[in-house]
Amino acid sequence: MNLPEQAPGPETDFRRTLIRVLVTQVVALALLGLLQLRYHV
Amino acid sequence: MHWINWAIVVAYLVFVVTDGIRKSKDTDTMAGYFAANKSLPWWVVGLSVMATQLSAVTMIGTTGQGATDGLRFVQLYFGLPIAMVILGVTLVPMLHGSGVFTAYEFLERRFDAKTRSLTAFLFLLSRGMSCGAIIAAPGVVFSAVFGIPLAWSVALIGIPTVIYTMIGGVQAVAWADVKQMFLIVIALLAIVAVLIFQMPIAPDDALRIAGATGRLKTFDFSFDLSETYTFWSGVLGGTFLMLSYFGTDQSQVQRYLTARSVDEAKSSLLMSAYWKIPLQALVLLVGVGVFVYSQFVRPPLLFNPAHEAAVSAERGAAYDDLQAQYANAFTLRETAALSVADAADDATAATAMGVFLAREADIQVIRGEALGLAAEVTGESVTDVNYIIPRFVLSELPLGLAGLFIAGVIAAAMSSVAAELNSLATTSVIDFYRRWVKPEAPDAHYLRISRGATAFWGLFACIVATYAATLGSLIEVVNRFGSFFYGSILGVFLLAMIPRARGTGAFVGLIAGMATVAAVTFGAPSVSFLWHNVIGAIVVLAVGVAMGDRSGA
Repeated sequence: MNLPEQAPGPETDFRRTLIRVLVTQVVALALLGLLQLRYHV
Repeated sequence: MHWINWAIVVAYLVFVVTDGIRKSKDTDTMAGYFAANKSLPWWVVGLSVMATQLSAVTMIGTTGQGATDGLRFVQLYFGLPIAMVILGVTLVPMLHGSGVFTAYEFLERRFDAKTRSLTAFLFLLSRGMSCGAIIAAPGVVFSAVFGIPLAWSVALIGIPTVIYTMIGGVQAVAWADVKQMFLIVIALLAIVAVLIFQMPIAPDDALRIAGATGRLKTFDFSFDLSETYTFWSGVLGGTFLMLSYFGTDQSQVQRYLTARSVDEAKSSLLMSAYWKIPLQALVLLVGVGVFVYSQFVRPPLLFNPAHEAAVSAERGAAYDDLQAQYANAFTLRETAALSVADAADDATAATAMGVFLAREADIQVIRGEALGLAAEVTGESVTDVNYIIPRFVLSELPLGLAGLFIAGVIAAAMSSVAAELNSLATTSVIDFYRRWVKPEAPDAHYLRISRGATAFWGLFACIVATYAATLGSLIEVVNRFGSFFYGSILGVFLLAMIPRARGTGAFVGLIAGMATVAAVTFGAPSVSFLWHNVIGAIVVLAVGVAMGDRSGA
């Protein structure tokens, strides 16, 4: 019998969101860092 | 400015006022007027939070800073995503779940009336003055650029804002913020598009010129307490600053108290966590782009037209001489910049870059002399960073887009001022009038008083803005005073989460925190203000815990 997958609770959901925030910010900073490494004299 | 640009500005003003009022519902109850009956979706609250933080100073001052100083200012925001994460699991559930109208009301429930009243009073004092400063910054620039009296430009921003905030309360403010935020982003993207299409050199060459003048240096890893913009001050000091601002300042707390649930309140703050750094980088990059563009299209020697006119009138011969030197130096620098762009190999590029930097230094010397003349003539200390972008917009943007940008600057000012007026009125009524003067009265009575309080704070802010030039030093004193207690108030809220902390410890800790920051400010003036928040919060926590109930009950 296929049981419907249980929806994640608010805690899990929020933790996932936090990880996503941190990952996107690291990517944003990495882009700024690349700009500096490539062009800053 | 062309009448079509003015028409766009007027159309924006009419739309934002009528739409803000139309979107307001149930404003005849306190819960509706002050907290939107906790009915707003996360994305409306999130955009409102972002629009509140982004003021006209960002649109004209920060872009100008990008043009003169580059990207390093963005480091100030490195702590913001961290702060939002911390707030999401600490203060937001606590404040949203407690059913209060103001952050300070919560402090009485947790501690006592004196802690609530002192923090609320400090908020009214600092935000009342800063609200005037927020109107004054674009007001002064518009007055000089458009040649209109300062009172008119202050009224242009202040009157429509007071109208929709007074009538529609927090809902009108939030829904207006949504439209204002979109307008702000569109206005910034319009400049980016114009820069890309009108720049006479390729993007890679433009970035090389920006990089050679230090404007693409984002990261500074030095650990220097006197430097405001370093990686460490941004991550550590910035986190405490953003915790204080988003977690304890009623102008922000009131935004997320309107969210439908605690989870939606958290999500609204996470929108800033995602987008603030990219947005701030875009704002600064606009300034960097304008700097590169001005290598090829000659900008005025003095960006402030009022100073330009005053210097021409009183020191005409000297100014003409400087103008001639500037025209000559500009041509030489433009040639050098084109040589950088045209260089075929690395060695030629390096030589061309050396020549370009020497020419750029010549221009800075001439500009410095012109600013010196302006300072002599006006008797004021002169900086014209805030005028760089408005002058670029009015001379280089196509018809219509200039009006759009000016409307965007007004939108940025209005969104911040509306949130502040709204929160100032709420704190005045909830934390003082209802608490100390008339505790039992029907909602209609408090709403009448609230609308009166909004009008009062609006008038107060407009008066401060109109006399900003003469009140300059007073505003600086109040801002400095503000930095004494911002971190300390955060300390009180953090203390609220420690079970053993008690009211007297919080109150004494608050005073001890402010006194310590004052001592550091005067005793070690080289320490950057970002560290004051860290020091204040830690002292309050230490004193509050030490004076707490040892039973921990």
